[in-house]
Amino acid sequence: MHSNRISQLIFSTIRKNLYLSLLLIAVVTGAVLSALLPPLVLEQIVNRLAAGKKPAFSIAVLYFLITAVSGLLNAAKEILITVFGQKVTHGIRTAMSEKLNRLPASYFMENNPGVTVSRFVNDVNTLENLFTSGIISMAADICRLGSILIVIFTRSTGLGLMLLAASPLLFLMTRIFQKRMLKAQLEGRVAVGRTSQQIPETMQNIRTIRLLQQENYMLKRYGQTIEQGFQAQERSNFYDAVYSPIIISVSALLTGIMMAAAAQSGVMQQFFGMSAGTAAAVIAYVGSFFDPLESIGMEIQNIQSAAAGIRRVREFLEENESKKNFCQKKPDLPQKSKAKSESETGSDEITAVCLSGISFRYKKGEPEILHNFNLTVREGESVILAGRTGAGKSTVIKLIAGLYPPTQGFITVFGRLPETIPETEKRHLFGYVEQQFHRIPGSVGDQVSLLDPQVSHEQVKQALLLTGLWETVSCLPEGIHTPCTEDLFSQGQFQLLSIARAIVLDPGLLLLDEITANLDSATEAQVLTALEAASRNRTVISVSHRLYGREMQPNTRIITL
Amino acid sequence: MNRTEEHSTDRVMYYFRKEKWVLLVVTATGIIYNIGMAAGPWFEGQLVQCLCDIIAKKCRPSYMCRLAAAYVLTILFVQFMRYFKRLYVRRFANNISKNMKMTLYRNLLHQKNSEQEKAGSMMAKIISDADACVEGMRKFTTEIFDTGVVMAAYLAMLLHYDWRLTLLSMLFPPIAYCLAEKLKGVVTKNTAQSRESSARLNEATLERITNAVTYRICGQETNQNAVYEQYLADYEVKAIRAGIWENAMQPIYQVISMMGTVMIIWFGGQNVFGTGWSVWNVAAFTTFFSCYHKLAVKSSKAAKLFNAVQKARVSWTRIRPWLKPVSEEAKTAFLSPAALSVKNVSFAWPGQKPLFSGVTFHAEPGEIIGITGKIACGKSTFGKLFTGELAYEGQISFGTSEFSGKGNRYEACVGYLGHRPELFDDSILENICMGNPGDIRAVLKAVCMDQEVDALPEGANTVIGSRGVRLSGGQQARIALARILYHQKPLMILDDPFSAVDMETEKLIFSSLRLRAKDSIILLISHRLSLFPLMDQVLWMENGTVTVSDHRKLMGQNESYRQLYEAQNVSEKVQEIPEKFRKPSKKEDHGHAFE
Repeated sequence: MHSNRISQLIFSTIRKNLYLSLLLIAVVTGAVLSALLPPLVLEQIVNRLAAGKKPAFSIAVLYFLITAVSGLLNAAKEILITVFGQKVTHGIRTAMSEKLNRLPASYFMENNPGVTVSRFVNDVNTLENLFTSGIISMAADICRLGSILIVIFTRSTGLGLMLLAASPLLFLMTRIFQKRMLKAQLEGRVAVGRTSQQIPETMQNIRTIRLLQQENYMLKRYGQTIEQGFQAQERSNFYDAVYSPIIISVSALLTGIMMAAAAQSGVMQQFFGMSAGTAAAVIAYVGSFFDPLESIGMEIQNIQSAAAGIRRVREFLEENESKKNFCQKKPDLPQKSKAKSESETGSDEITAVCLSGISFRYKKGEPEILHNFNLTVREGESVILAGRTGAGKSTVIKLIAGLYPPTQGFITVFGRLPETIPETEKRHLFGYVEQQFHRIPGSVGDQVSLLDPQVSHEQVKQALLLTGLWETVSCLPEGIHTPCTEDLFSQGQFQLLSIARAIVLDPGLLLLDEITANLDSATEAQVLTALEAASRNRTVISVSHRLYGREMQPNTRIITL
Repeated sequence: MNRTEEHSTDRVMYYFRKEKWVLLVVTATGIIYNIGMAAGPWFEGQLVQCLCDIIAKKCRPSYMCRLAAAYVLTILFVQFMRYFKRLYVRRFANNISKNMKMTLYRNLLHQKNSEQEKAGSMMAKIISDADACVEGMRKFTTEIFDTGVVMAAYLAMLLHYDWRLTLLSMLFPPIAYCLAEKLKGVVTKNTAQSRESSARLNEATLERITNAVTYRICGQETNQNAVYEQYLADYEVKAIRAGIWENAMQPIYQVISMMGTVMIIWFGGQNVFGTGWSVWNVAAFTTFFSCYHKLAVKSSKAAKLFNAVQKARVSWTRIRPWLKPVSEEAKTAFLSPAALSVKNVSFAWPGQKPLFSGVTFHAEPGEIIGITGKIACGKSTFGKLFTGELAYEGQISFGTSEFSGKGNRYEACVGYLGHRPELFDDSILENICMGNPGDIRAVLKAVCMDQEVDALPEGANTVIGSRGVRLSGGQQARIALARILYHQKPLMILDDPFSAVDMETEKLIFSSLRLRAKDSIILLISHRLSLFPLMDQVLWMENGTVTVSDHRKLMGQNESYRQLYEAQNVSEKVQEIPEKFRKPSKKEDHGHAFE
């Protein structure tokens, strides 16, 4: 099933757009055939002239009409190919976005978002090229090449034979040139990528560069990558510059030989003999014979580069999915109910979160971050996780939120396995304040609701009131409908939004990850107050050294990892 | 050509002039090639005529051989010229591109106070603008010959054969051209819409993936995919529309231009027949026809030239401010250790009341001064005064040189490490040395990184990724600290360098700071006070005033300071301070906080 995922997606697109696909085939065929006709009409005209007859006005009009039809069919071909390519890529992108839902959270941690985005954008675009300037156009070009060759054979066997002999050689040359060019271009693109990366980097680090007086070092570093791009471009330029002159020279050479041979008598006459009109038509054909040859080479290249794109898209679609991990966990379930009953008999209070015998490592072969870790948090309790950097404080929070399945042991949140909680219930059960605020496109209110249809305007307002941001927000020009931009709020205020986002659906459990934002600003006090307000009447599990100096809630426990 | 113009890198002519030899080759070969282009149709006509004559036994077959040979040789020569022209036009563009980008980068390096990442992405756009400019300049140069000269050559030839027929048939290409002009707006609008939609889709993709975890935690993934689907649908529609306008119109323009062929076949036929305006043979007919065909195709593409030049002009106005000539500044030697004296310094953001004022203190080489205070007291801003990015009042002098004075080079004495480690996507070695020779082991050891670096697969040659992502936050901070220590400056400002480092490591690093920087003055800004008992002086910032004192005195006299210190050290017992943390001080009244 896997290796054919993409072809399945393509076939389902064809099935969905059956009429479009059939029309496409008809138009491509029409375009190929109509392109053959104008030189044939020209042949008639020249022959009539050579015979001393005046060409009829109708034949002049016919020539134009055929040219026009051929042009229009070509236009229609381009349009249909574009439409078809867009339909296919749309389908693939939809499938990829659905795949995002099934990927484990670790995928997003381990993979740079930029890389994944380039699979969605660049790699799918090469797939689009596969249709717009790959498979379909190649089929059309091969047909064109074949049909021109057939017509030439009917007019001049000798020229047909010459073309048949020359075209494999020229095609081989075309491929070699194109491959070398592609290689140079790829090198160039890598260099360009590196230079465009160096620019924002330089801007970010400009203070260090200036104070350490390393401007010349940076200039040298940049110059080196520019030079690499320059050299690659020079190589590609050579092939680019020399290709077309060679092709035209060869076609002139063939025309010259043909004409010289056509003028001879005897055996040559048999192979090359032709009328003046035929000569005019054949010259026109030879001129257009090499266009499809070059195009086919280009199309092979497009297909090859699309192949790399397809491979990367397929890799993405075949990434391990988090569902698999759920299956591995199932055997733990009976144990879970037992432990739960134990904890329930142990005290009358309700268990909010229970971690039992948790071991965890991010990847196979990496050291365990947690080993046989146990924690039971009763409802209404506040637990602070303490310990050195890397002790696994954040990991515990992430495990409870169901972002990762534990390697061993089980976790329950209000008696349920975190990964099995349906999407719509998550925010009612727990709120998670992340290390950093993640801004989404949209208004200030959207930051809190995340465009969730479950969240009402009133709830957004309440959440903002609780975090103490309501006043600031209502002073904005459009209130909570003000578009949220990067510089609308301070870092601390964004942190308040993050808290509002977590509590907007009034969850019973609040998970506070370590806030990494630099809160050395006037709003740190506000953030702490908001955290206190948000923690009231909730079970809280937090990783925060920032709460020092604050009055501890009476039912607070510190767990050192 | 005067001297100033020779170096005015913000002029288009500068670049053309710089490439004058390349352009000379382009011009010479371009003119030969394009005039030669007219030879193709002429020879083709002659070949057909010659065949006619041979069939009619009016001339001998050997004449055809000579004619064919001449044809092939001429085309070879013309194409050889064409190769040179193409190569040199490309070289011209490549040279300009290199030149322009280096100038841009030089401008960028001499920017001051550009902390925002926005500026970074803006610069990336400017680079693509530079590419558009070069592309425009290349197309312009190419098309001057390929369209201008060649069209003139074809037109001259057509007029020579039959000027009346030429005028008649040339009615049509301008119609195609006018239509293209009229529809250009629609085409650009649709292309722009498609690009915008594509940009929105890319943004939505990036956003969907970057915030994937947030959406998962909040159960919003299905909802978000529905939103994403809208972007996809919009892009599909816009891309198809743009594709139709872009690809479908070209054949139609050509069809309009080809209307002239009806005239040529009809009136040209009469010419050959002997009843027309001119007296033609078959060769003339074929040449005229083939020539007109090529002209029609060319003119239908002329619109593209104007688009490229227009685009280049827009790009040029955007990048011009970044192409100012920059003179290279010589490195200044680092100053030797000296005393720092801060007198009555105050600072206010424009239009606001002073953030702090009346700061006065004095520091001798070797001292480490702790700066702290409650949130938003301006301690980070105070640190930035020493980078020369902010204008302050009062006096800061290092040794004998005054900071705020004109022509001053902060670079000569200040090292600064802010919240961001400012790392490069390069190896650890390069990040620390920045191209200078030397051994980094000592500084790595000083920041307790030597063992961690050894454990990496490629040691100090390990590439750490963009902004150092392959390292943890604590490792990033320590590499940055190692860099500051490597390029040792007599005055170092460290703004919260230990926030991502645990307390044990913090203490170890502090002791090596003492050792390595024994002749430098270090201003250590922090909100974590555990090391403050070891500082030679402590600056406490509160409500716009600064108290200069030391830890022991502040503990006794300043209630806020004591509360902050005790709140942080609540679980830790006050420990004996090991001897090694202390400054081997001449002045005995410092560094005895816990006696």
